[in-house]
Parts: sequence; C-alpha cells; structure tokens
Amino acid sequence: MNGYLRLTGVSLRYGPQQEPALDEVDLEVPAGSSVAILGPSGSGKSTLLRVAAGLEEPTAGSVTLDDVDLAGTAAENRGMAMVFQRPLLFPHLDVTDNVAFADRVRGVPRRAARRRAREFLELVQLAGFERRTPRSLSGGQEQRVALARALAAEPRVLLLDEPFSALDAGLREEMYELLDELRLRLSPTILLVTHDHREADALGDTVAVLDGGRLLQSGPMRQLYTRPASLAVSRLLGGRNEIAGEVRGGWHHSPLGVFRVATSVADGPGVLLIRQEAVELTGADADAVGTVVRVRRRGPRALVTVEVGGPDRPGTARVTAELGPGLQLEVGRDVGLRLPAEALAVVAGNARQDGVEADPVESVDDGQR
Amino acid sequence: MAADGPRRQPVTGLPLAAPGRRTHTAGPLHTGRSRRSPRRRALLLILPAVVPTGAVVLAALTSALLSSLGLTPLVGQPRLTLDPWRAPTDHLWTAAGLSVAIATAATVLAALVGLATALAITGRRRSGRLLALLSSATIPVPHVVGAAAVGLLLADAGFLPRVLGVETGWPPLVGGRWWIAVVAEYAWKESAFIALVVSSALASRVASYRDTAIVLGARPWARLRYVTLPLAAPALVASAGISFVYVLGSYEVAWLLGRPSPEPLPVLAFRLFTSLELTARPEAAAVAVATAALALAAVAVAAAALRRMEGWR
Repeated sequence: MNGYLRLTGVSLRYGPQQEPALDEVDLEVPAGSSVAILGPSGSGKSTLLRVAAGLEEPTAGSVTLDDVDLAGTAAENRGMAMVFQRPLLFPHLDVTDNVAFADRVRGVPRRAARRRAREFLELVQLAGFERRTPRSLSGGQEQRVALARALAAEPRVLLLDEPFSALDAGLREEMYELLDELRLRLSPTILLVTHDHREADALGDTVAVLDGGRLLQSGPMRQLYTRPASLAVSRLLGGRNEIAGEVRGGWHHSPLGVFRVATSVADGPGVLLIRQEAVELTGADADAVGTVVRVRRRGPRALVTVEVGGPDRPGTARVTAELGPGLQLEVGRDVGLRLPAEALAVVAGNARQDGVEADPVESVDDGQR
Repeated sequence: MAADGPRRQPVTGLPLAAPGRRTHTAGPLHTGRSRRSPRRRALLLILPAVVPTGAVVLAALTSALLSSLGLTPLVGQPRLTLDPWRAPTDHLWTAAGLSVAIATAATVLAALVGLATALAITGRRRSGRLLALLSSATIPVPHVVGAAAVGLLLADAGFLPRVLGVETGWPPLVGGRWWIAVVAEYAWKESAFIALVVSSALASRVASYRDTAIVLGARPWARLRYVTLPLAAPALVASAGISFVYVLGSYEVAWLLGRPSPEPLPVLAFRLFTSLELTARPEAAAVAVATAALALAAVAVAAAALRRMEGWR
C-alpha cells in the first residue's frame, strides 16, 4: 500500500496564451512518507494532485510510481486513491457500499466486498454505521467514510485534497489523530495539499510550498519556519516580521540593529525574517528596545507589535511578538526584544518584492497587509 | 504552533456519535421549528400557482365525473346511472390498452434516447453544447407541427421513401397497425425534454462523482453502471413520468397519424364529445375520467419510485 511517487519537471498550461498552472514542478514522495503541498488558493496545488492522479494530463514532465512512468496510464489504473475537500459519498449507496465501491468495481463479490468494507469502517472508528445513508452523517463522519473508501481501494499512493478544510477546528484535530493512527498501522504513502501551514505541519513529514504554479521551497517544516527561502514562503507560513535593511559583510543592518547573517547572502538590500513565536519580550539583555503600539488577542495568547527606533537610529522598524498565555502588555509601554540568532533568517531583496508594498525602512506586519 | 489549536485527544477517546443516531452539529437555533420554516415558506410561495391549477383541475374532474354519472345531463332530469360507463365498455378497454401501449412505447424510447443524449451532453464539451442546443430547439415545436412533419416524412408518399427510392412496399408507418409514426413523434419530442431534464440534473455533480469513481479504480462501464445511471435515475424517472402522462392524455398526434379504429382514449373522448348526439357527452366524460385515473395511477407509481430514491439526490 505504499509506492514511491516522483514528479519531474511537471508543467501544465490550459492554453498557449495562459500562464502555466504548473511550472516545472519537481517533487518526491518516498514510500510510506507523507508530503504536504502548501499554497494559497489558485497556487496550483490541487492541479498538481490531479496531475499525479491522472485526472489532468501535464503538458510537460513526468509522473513515475516506483520508477514506472505513468504517462498514458489511465487514472483508474494508476493505483492511487483520492479524498477530496467534499467527501463526495455516493448518495445512492449506504456507508458500507460506499466503502466497498472499489472492490465492487474490481469485480469482487458483493458479500466479500462488504465484509472488507466493515473492516475499514472499524479502522476509521465508524463500526455500527454500516447501514446509514450518507445524508444521515455529520461532516466529520462523512469524511471518515471517504477516507475508509479511499483506503479500501488499497492505493499505492493516497492523495488528499484539502480533505479537512471544511471541518471545524475540533473535528480537524480528530482527523489529524485518526490519520496519525492510520499511518502507524498501514504506512501509506500520502501526498496531501492544504492552504493551512498548521495542517501541513501536523500531517506532513516534509512540506513543499507552491505558489503561482512554482515550487518555492521544500523540506521539513522546522527548516521552512526558521530558514524560509523567500518572503513569499515566510508569508505563506504565517511569518509576520519582515525587517527591511541592508546586508554588508555578513551582517544585516536595519533600524532594529545589526545582526549576524547565518546564511550566505550577498551584500545589498536584505530582509531580516524572524517568526513572531521566536521573539522574546524581555526587560533585560535586550537586542532592541521599543514601544508597544498594538496588542491583538489570539485566544489565550496575544500578538504584540513593538515599534523600534529612536534618535540614534534612522527610521523605525516594527516587530510582532507572540505573548504567552496569561501575560498582558498595554499599548505605550517600553519593552525589550530578544531575537535568538538561530531564529533569524535573511533573504536578499527588499520588502516590496512579491507584490507587497512596504516602506524600505519601516517593515509592515501581517495585520496591515 | 500546536498551541494554537485545541489539545489533541487520544484516538480511542474520540467523541463519536452512537450508531443509529444522527449527530447534530448544529447549535440550539436549529430546532425542529426552524427546520420546518423554510418548507412552510416554500409552500406559501407555490400556493399562487397551486391554488388556481388545483381549482381548475378539481372543477374539471368533478364536472366530468358528475356528467359521467348522469348527474349533469344536457337534457332531461339528473339521475344517478352508470350507463355512460357501460355504453363504450368495449371501446373503453381497447382504448385504454392502446393508450397505455402507445405511452409506454413512446416513453421507453424517449427515456433511452433522452438518457443517451443527456450523457453525451454532460460528457462532451463542444458536441455536448451542440446537442443541448438541438434539444432545446426541439422543445418549443408544437406537437401538432411535429406530427405533420413526421407524417410528411414517414408516409408512403412521404419524403423518406422518396429519398430512399422506395416506390412500392413501403411499410404503413402512418396509420398502420403498429402506430409507429405516433410513437416516433412522441419519442422524438419527449426525448428532447428528458435529455434536458436529466442533463441539468447531472451537469452540476456528475463530474465530481465521476472523478471520485475514477480514482477508486472504476472503468467507464463501471462508472456508468455504479455512478452515472443511479445519479441520473431520479431525474429520469420524474421526466419519464411526466412524458408518460402527457402522451397518455395527448390527442392531436394520435388523431393525425393513427388509425381510425381502434382509437386511443383521448381521440375517443374527443370524438364522443364532439358527436352530433348530445347524449354521447356523458360517455365522453366517462372516457376522460378513465384517462385521468390512469394518469393519476402513473403519477403514483412514479412518485413511489422517486420516494425510494429520495436520498439519491
């Protein structure tokens, strides 16, 4: 139930004059692993999944499964199953027959197919729901049945197209747990797409960031969080801090101060990136001192925006920090900021790139984009 | 990041709904009363159409029934009698059988052609649009015009035998024993109606279910059998039911293209109603009531079939 999926130079154009929906995408999904494709709406992530499934024909590039090129192989013969954003349970079949669908179309006798379907229903913790109709299920239950139906097809690659995005937060967490459990028991190869970086983090061993049909960066989520390759990646991952400045001799200079650049960046304009969770608010040993200009509650936590700058430094910079549960800060208060060196990243260019207008000196936080 | 969401629970402790009960995720605002409100609103909205239609149909049926029972004679005293029902007894049974046979044959043909057309419309982008256009163009053509056209096409001196160069031995398609021209005209017109209804029902969802079936390994025949046909069934049954009832009660095509004898129910009713003998009016009313009863029976069968498919839509 686990194959090695590889996409090489996959491109797709719907018309000669149109922008490519996919532009030379390379992606590997090792057997038994889970790879999440993260991207905003319209980035081409669902299209990529459809190309892998054989529902769309790429204009260039290849899709291989266990080193066998799938070009010319019909979608129904590729050995992949897909769970869509909507469960799409067949309304004329009950829960058991929905799960037994793949076996039935393969010619398995009905009784045997239904017996196997019941096993998969137990796997997704829906034993006792066999005779129910899809209409009588809740959204979460429907998606569990859709998952069981896909697993019952015994695919070599399981494709998940934002399957949990229509569920509320609690149900999503349940589904993440369920998928973890299924991975432990069945070790399926999973390629999933999502627009939610938290979901990508929760479900993917590695994450590939896609935007405008191009693969921007891929790797473990920790690496993407701390070393985003571009502003676009940082933003897609929910990063809020972009401090415009200049790189000179391996140091980044900005109104925030001077910080060592860990990665190799050429001299010239550069944007300092640090995730809001990594910024520490402190009273002593601060890397920079500023004034709280905005506080926004986020459940038990808060996002605090601190403006840094003063008479001894040209311009100002704004840094957003996440405040822990139970802590409070009021607007107007002076605070110190500690920016751990291992959490800092610098990308070449300035904050105007990727279509975002920002003052070259004063960085703009996410809430103002 | 994990701190943003609720804490995870062990899989074994997932709060699943008990089997046999539906899990309601809606809050307290979704009471039974609030669920009924949209239905009540919908009922109120269709009342302006239902009331006059119902009044006319009920008044007409009541009037026909009273007349067929001798309670509203044109001449003489009202007297409860079954004579108008007995008088055309032989004709009535023959006409009823003939009408049901014509309606069944035409409906089955129309359903097959209409379904095939609907599948072509939803399955192919360019030719599908052309087919949909052709089907749409067929619907406004009146049946009487269609009957005249079919007559000119299929008669022994018609266009088709001339094109084919058949001078003698052309089968009696018009006015013949098997009512072929009548069935063909109804099947042609009604298949366009069925095709549009079924393709409309399929258009919005067949693509997504087809993709689902494909990625589950279903080949074209399996997709047709296990997915497309069941999804099309409710619209097919509803539109075929409407077509059957229409053909059963339709007069002009059978009158123009059929044989003088035996007569289907609507032709018999019309002949009796326009007879010079005014005493034949109650017999015409009896035939009309019998036709309406058959139509209602067909509607009941279609409604029962649709109720069984309620969850399929």
